[in-house]
Amino acid sequence: MAETTYWTGSEKYLCDTALAQAFHMARVLGMPLLIEGEPGTGKTELPLHYAKNMGLDLHVYPVGSKSTVDQFVAKFDHVKYLRDSQIEILNAQREEKGLDSRLSTGGRNPEVLADYVAKGPAALAYSSPNSVLLIDEIDKAPREFPNDLLYALSHRKFIMPESGEVVEISEDDMPAIVITSNREQELPTAFKGRCIYHYIDFPDKEVMAKIIEKHYPDIEDDVVNVAMDVFYHLRKVGLERAPTTREILNWLKYIKQSASKEAIEKIERLEGLGALIKTQPDMDKVQRMLRVDPNNFTGPSLN
Amino acid sequence: MLSSLPSSFREYGLSTDVRTLLLLRKAIDRGLVKTLGDMYTVLRAIIVKEPADMGPYTRAYYRYFLDIDIRHGESLEDAIVRSETFEKWKTQYLKEEDEDANLSEEELVNIFLDQVHLTHYDIKEVINGKEIFDNDDPDLKDKEAEGEYDLSEREARKLEKMADYSDLSLKELLERFEKIKNQQKSRHEGGSHWIGTGGISPFGHGGAAKNGIRVGGSGGGKMARKVIGDRNYYPVDRDATINDNNVDAALASIKGVIEESATENLDIPVTIKSGLKRGGLFLPELSSEKNEKLQIIVLIDNGGYSMSPFVKTVQELFRKMKTRFAHDLEVFYFHNTVYDVVYKDARRTKPFEIKRLLKYDKHYRVFFIGDAAMAPYELDGESIQSLQAIVKKFKKTVWLNPEPIKYWGFTYTIQMVQQIMPMFPLTPNGIERAVQHMNKKSVV
Repeated sequence: MAETTYWTGSEKYLCDTALAQAFHMARVLGMPLLIEGEPGTGKTELPLHYAKNMGLDLHVYPVGSKSTVDQFVAKFDHVKYLRDSQIEILNAQREEKGLDSRLSTGGRNPEVLADYVAKGPAALAYSSPNSVLLIDEIDKAPREFPNDLLYALSHRKFIMPESGEVVEISEDDMPAIVITSNREQELPTAFKGRCIYHYIDFPDKEVMAKIIEKHYPDIEDDVVNVAMDVFYHLRKVGLERAPTTREILNWLKYIKQSASKEAIEKIERLEGLGALIKTQPDMDKVQRMLRVDPNNFTGPSLN
Repeated sequence: MLSSLPSSFREYGLSTDVRTLLLLRKAIDRGLVKTLGDMYTVLRAIIVKEPADMGPYTRAYYRYFLDIDIRHGESLEDAIVRSETFEKWKTQYLKEEDEDANLSEEELVNIFLDQVHLTHYDIKEVINGKEIFDNDDPDLKDKEAEGEYDLSEREARKLEKMADYSDLSLKELLERFEKIKNQQKSRHEGGSHWIGTGGISPFGHGGAAKNGIRVGGSGGGKMARKVIGDRNYYPVDRDATINDNNVDAALASIKGVIEESATENLDIPVTIKSGLKRGGLFLPELSSEKNEKLQIIVLIDNGGYSMSPFVKTVQELFRKMKTRFAHDLEVFYFHNTVYDVVYKDARRTKPFEIKRLLKYDKHYRVFFIGDAAMAPYELDGESIQSLQAIVKKFKKTVWLNPEPIKYWGFTYTIQMVQQIMPMFPLTPNGIERAVQHMNKKSVV
């Protein structure tokens, strides 16, 4: 039976209720869970902690701009195959010359094609029941990649190249598949239709305070509050690239080197703004706004 | 059952069809849908495919299951308070909950939201909570013996009610949802039972809120409230002429012109090098490669008042493209139509001959952007020849027009240009269609 208990997070990972429910739903229905959301909302953490907490096998496929579905499912290793077949010849030649030492093929037999199939994370996950499969940042892939995945996702079946071996899994043993995306490009509608969709909201101040506390437990609350005011204000003014969790963490890393009173002053002077703002037009915009109304960012009118 | 759901949700621009229903059935069959709140979360996971669907989805859901019509720009609270469903529920609720008669409207809305969005996960929490409480209380048995059970008797009754739906079959559940839906519509039904005793929610007596697991409008209710008030959860107007709001949507559609592929190729130099190092044992070395092809020529009409509102947005659009994909993107300018030269700068001081333009690689995609409205004599033979030469050389050429499509028929020169090359409106949807047209296999 598939692992379909309702999982709400572990000691180290607090899973948002809505996300936990979506994840549960995906597992019960045997569909992949597609999580979208801005960077720094903890999309990748979910399957990692789930697998660890439940003691399940985890298979991760980090998607890159050069990803192909072969790497994800399985590849036939032509290089090894060629090497091993040449070794046979070499060994024969060595024997002729009366040399004792033989070159080894590492236990692989060139006549068994399956020995040369390098299984990718998908094939591995589908061969072990109730595992967890994470496909990370699928939006980085070339556009055809998600479409290529469709077949596998809807049929629960892969055919290994050359050897023809079929890796198949019953619906009951389906791995829990989690796919994450930063929405850098739109995924095909047909692909989304086969997934349970969940959008993680950007954390609000309460949650953000908790996240910050996790990273830097020793910063004083006052400093964090002032910094968050500035941060959320910057997110609201409509920048080309709004600062995310990672940016505020970096900024605080710089700020926290000073004592708390000094730190607040630093924040009010917007020192180290470069940690939060990443493009030149945005920087211009913020500076223009500062010239018009320098108190805008830290004054009481903030909220 | 619920067969009108897909069409009703489609009215809100959501893509729902029979597959939605099949999936919903499967979910109900597997015990994922027990309450109205479950219905909200499950349908959301099935139907919503991007954040911009959230707003329309929530509106469609309230309309379909609760007969609450959230008008555009209205907050969820206002819509609820205005609705008849809430009125009926309030009467019922206040009658049953005699002790808390003096609740404010706001509190009532919160309780209403709690009940609507109560999920079976919450109920489980209550049950678990009770179990833990029972287990943690070593005196419980003694108390029972002493007859102090009345406190938890109410609890027990509630739990019984919670449990009574879990045995329902798929068919019964579906029937129940159908009934809930219809009850909102029938005005003359005596009393509303959709929530509470006769409805799907196992405890309609404020039990959940009282047990302290939810505080006013949390969970699904909070989400619904947030979604209704936030522009981010609504789709941008994809049929509006391109502006600052929908420029990102336009960018997303125009990205379709990039030809992307990833392949593994035999890396010959590396193979030879490493083969020589091995003393003549040549093993194929593979290298993975990402091919991204973006060859675009943009020709912008920046003369005249009619075009000036759009030029900035168009430039912005292609600037964004260029920063993301540093490839061959050439921008030229012209006034009204193209004769023998176009210009490299926006002020039209640096001419660039069409003859030279025609020497570009034929795989370039060409976008004309202009309203194509001019005096008929301006579109003379020379101009038509230039346009035709461009279309002949670059097979993937389109004209994007900011003018609303309904006026196209009234302008002679627009019709002339349309005969030379395909024309699409300068809206996110129009751009998408233009890109699809370019990507057709037949257009090579």
